[in-house]
Amino acid sequence: MSSLPLRLIDADEPGEPAVPGAAAPHSPLAAVPNATAGLERPSPPAAAVSGEGIPLRLARALRVHLTALLLGASSLGGLVLFWHLATTHRWDFYIRFTNLPTPQEVAVQLGMALDNVKFIQNVGMSLRRIAIGFLVATVLGVALGLAIGRYRLLRQLVFPAIEALRPIPAIAWVPISIMLWPDNEVSIVFITFIGAFFPILLNTVAGVQAVDAVLLRAGQCLGAREPQLMWHVVLPGAAPQIFTGLAVGMGVAWVSLIAAEMISGQFGVGYFTWEAYSLISYADIVLGMITIGVLGLGCSWLIRAASRLALPWLAYSKPSSQA
Amino acid sequence: MSAILNPRPEAGAAEGAAPAGRGRIELKGLSMAFGEGAARVDAVQSFDLTVAPGEFVSIIGPSGCGKSSLLNVVAGFMPPTEGSVLLDGVPIKGPGPERGVVFQQYSLFPWMSVRKNVEFGLKMQGVAVSKRQTTARTLLGLAGLLAFENHYPDQLSGGMKQRVGIVRALATSPQVMLMDEPFGALDAQTRVVMQQILTNMWQKFRLSVLFITHDIEEAIFLSDRVYVMTARPGRIKAEVAIPLPRPRTAEMMSSIEFTQILHKLRNLIREESLAAMGHELSAGGLEGFATEVGPAGVQQLV
Repeated sequence: MSSLPLRLIDADEPGEPAVPGAAAPHSPLAAVPNATAGLERPSPPAAAVSGEGIPLRLARALRVHLTALLLGASSLGGLVLFWHLATTHRWDFYIRFTNLPTPQEVAVQLGMALDNVKFIQNVGMSLRRIAIGFLVATVLGVALGLAIGRYRLLRQLVFPAIEALRPIPAIAWVPISIMLWPDNEVSIVFITFIGAFFPILLNTVAGVQAVDAVLLRAGQCLGAREPQLMWHVVLPGAAPQIFTGLAVGMGVAWVSLIAAEMISGQFGVGYFTWEAYSLISYADIVLGMITIGVLGLGCSWLIRAASRLALPWLAYSKPSSQA
Repeated sequence: MSAILNPRPEAGAAEGAAPAGRGRIELKGLSMAFGEGAARVDAVQSFDLTVAPGEFVSIIGPSGCGKSSLLNVVAGFMPPTEGSVLLDGVPIKGPGPERGVVFQQYSLFPWMSVRKNVEFGLKMQGVAVSKRQTTARTLLGLAGLLAFENHYPDQLSGGMKQRVGIVRALATSPQVMLMDEPFGALDAQTRVVMQQILTNMWQKFRLSVLFITHDIEEAIFLSDRVYVMTARPGRIKAEVAIPLPRPRTAEMMSSIEFTQILHKLRNLIREESLAAMGHELSAGGLEGFATEVGPAGVQQLV
């Protein structure tokens, strides 16, 4: 959280040239040093950066930041307040809040659950399934996507089959998956995999096809052969879109996992939530929902962090493609 | 490495003294066509061209005359429809690091730092990390770009990107450089400086250069010889030697010799541009308007 204000300052100055104030180096190959200086992007005038005064910039950033923080807090607070009012007063107007647990009840339940080995095991189980299913989907999706995106013949051969399977939601695979795989655990991982696989694959294909042709030519001219071109030019060129696929895939993976756990599961947060319903333990239902939300949020945060680490150069590209 | 970095001593002294045999480009009876049957477009027809080792040769012509197709053939991106393309007597089969290419669009890899971009060609050849780092840093230093070695291309100005692009192409010690309107995307002021930088670089490296441009002054300033192409299908309309002394300086652009060559080339190109635009310049097209309209505007005319 503490890094947020810093980032905000950056976002505040979109026009600021990225080249630091380093003076344009004198070029020994240039016969006209004076004119060379005009070539470099003009260094930001010192006055504009430091002259305004750091306190002033900080104050402005803080003001912008504070507003966002307050609005965010009241948004969440409003939601909890509504929940509180609706459940404590047992509102009943077509929608019935009569049986729903109050926020306090859920908070108490959370405190108990965190001490409960079984609850922790459920969370661990779901995370493990996500990790395996998502990892396999990433490896297969990216590898196949690179090949399909690059080679037209392969695309024509494989794509019709993919297009036929793609519209089937992962949840619809549940019965077949149970029949297909020797045990329940693998079949749930398979459902998770299916959910993540298609977004990753399709985004990779699109990313490969969007790689600027001049970069491929440049790579070839510098002596890159096909495998090298694939690894050093196509893959990094498609990487931004691959990460988009990973983010979408992660979302769908969670949807698929929870559904699979509810239907066929033993253990897992989806199973926990559904079991709570069967056992009429209402506070646990909401606890399960919140847990699922938090885990999903955490996973997509991980992907975003990974993308920022893997693609530092995106911060400088013109149409800022970062969320 | 030292082979790249040792500029041939006093290269500018004698034209004929260039080392024999390295970097000779020959196009013989080259034709290029796209499409089939009725949709067939002849881009280039029976084209003969030679670039001697260490020579700077430009091709100018009206837009759409097939200049870029020509370069693409030499770079190895597409095969010729007819004729042969030879580098030092060996037919060109595909792209390769012995021909450095600088593109009109910025072609630096945006995900690599400036230094990694320059190292790329050496990395593909399996040169060890430390060695290619030294080479890249030395070259960047010579080009006055060392301060930016860790920047990403998107942090650089257009002129700097093209300078890095040239340095990257030089890093693999090519025998020839192919440049496809490398300064076309730059503003006029930056172009002039880049031309100066390029001619100075060439003076140090003395590579064979095949340079495509539509800027006549640029072609004269940089080249030993200039080929003028006709409108599509592109043929050689004229071959003009540029007898200006080396090294070239900006002052030469206002010399009488320069101006005379400029006039000559301009007239040649003008004819071709008119021919190229012929079909779109019917009745009144070139005159701008067939009737005097005057300051009162179109309303009065109607």
